[in-house]
Amino acid sequence: MRAVAISLKIPDNTAFTAAVALRRLGIGVERVERSEIWFFEEEGSALIERITADETIFNPNKHCVTLLDEAVPRSGEVWIEPLEPRHPDPSTSSGEGRRATAWRLFGPNEATLDRESLGAAVERLLCNPAIERAVY
Amino acid sequence: MSARIAVPVFPGTNSEDETLRLLRDCGGNAELVHWSQASNLAHYDAYVLAGGFAYEDRIRAGAIAAHDRMMDSVIEAAGSGKLVFGICNGAQILLEAGLVPGTGSIRRPTAAFTRNAPAPHFVCRHVYLKLAIEPARCAITAALPEDAIVPAWAAHAEGRLAATPEHLREIVAGGHLAFTYAHSTGAVDQAAIPNGSALGCAGLVNRAGNVLAIMPHPERDAWNFNHLDRREGDDVLATSGGSVLFRSFVQALASS
Repeated sequence: MRAVAISLKIPDNTAFTAAVALRRLGIGVERVERSEIWFFEEEGSALIERITADETIFNPNKHCVTLLDEAVPRSGEVWIEPLEPRHPDPSTSSGEGRRATAWRLFGPNEATLDRESLGAAVERLLCNPAIERAVY
Repeated sequence: MSARIAVPVFPGTNSEDETLRLLRDCGGNAELVHWSQASNLAHYDAYVLAGGFAYEDRIRAGAIAAHDRMMDSVIEAAGSGKLVFGICNGAQILLEAGLVPGTGSIRRPTAAFTRNAPAPHFVCRHVYLKLAIEPARCAITAALPEDAIVPAWAAHAEGRLAATPEHLREIVAGGHLAFTYAHSTGAVDQAAIPNGSALGCAGLVNRAGNVLAIMPHPERDAWNFNHLDRREGDDVLATSGGSVLFRSFVQALASS
């Protein structure tokens, strides 16, 4: 399985709002990066070509796409996944299979947050355990 | 001087005007309180959180607003027994704030009004809410008759109650299921539920009975000009419209 991150190359107001809210909760966040993680069975450059051609999930004017080396969160990152599988959406040609929202949290000097701080961010804001699971 | 009702306005709230108008038409002394005036909120006697998209639903619907400074006052007020009523996005905020069903900790949600199912799309549909508790169980519904039917408009993409099976049982056993979706006759079945909500839930109440969260908008079927059945005479408010719930709210405040 390959994981692909689609993120904004324009300013991400949602990530900025999350950073402000987390600071208000006492979590030492300087910056937050957000991306949508899509999981695919297929491999390689053909996958990127297909994604970048799918205007329902990728807009070249505002998105960038990254093929991740491993389908696991990076340092300082949490993936929030819905507990219930999404129902297929025929309006999206890539379908709506397994998907996650990735939040990567940075502290002072661009250091990623440690696991304890990340856990606090997850518990206090980023994840509603009634409907979501956090992977980090 | 009559009790003062605050309608907090978060960035992205969009139903505050009709909510305010209906509260006033029902005899309430209501005012809008914008996010820049958060420190004023503590001075009010009751709170109605209107619909919309507070903070653009960033992270999750209601998640950022639940941690907003304005909610500090609302949470404190709810704890002291003041009436708090949330509609649509206001209901989502109350869930994220942990005020309803209120079985967990503050700001640690135990349930969610989340993405509709089976189609994960926005629904705009006229619905009926059936009171599923004894009217007096919740101060805000105390003036309604038993099994009251309240017309409203469902207008949301994320209105489906979701929680673990254990917690759903706890919601039922604890008397937190305040309203279910129903037909106009009061009959309850799957066809009456617009969003796949667990338990057919349209509204939740906290343990103390002073915080009520409902997803549909009764204020959009309240005046004769927007009531589906317009044969109810010359009154401004439709007697069988969604205003019955707002009247009950104002009445509860007057008698508290």
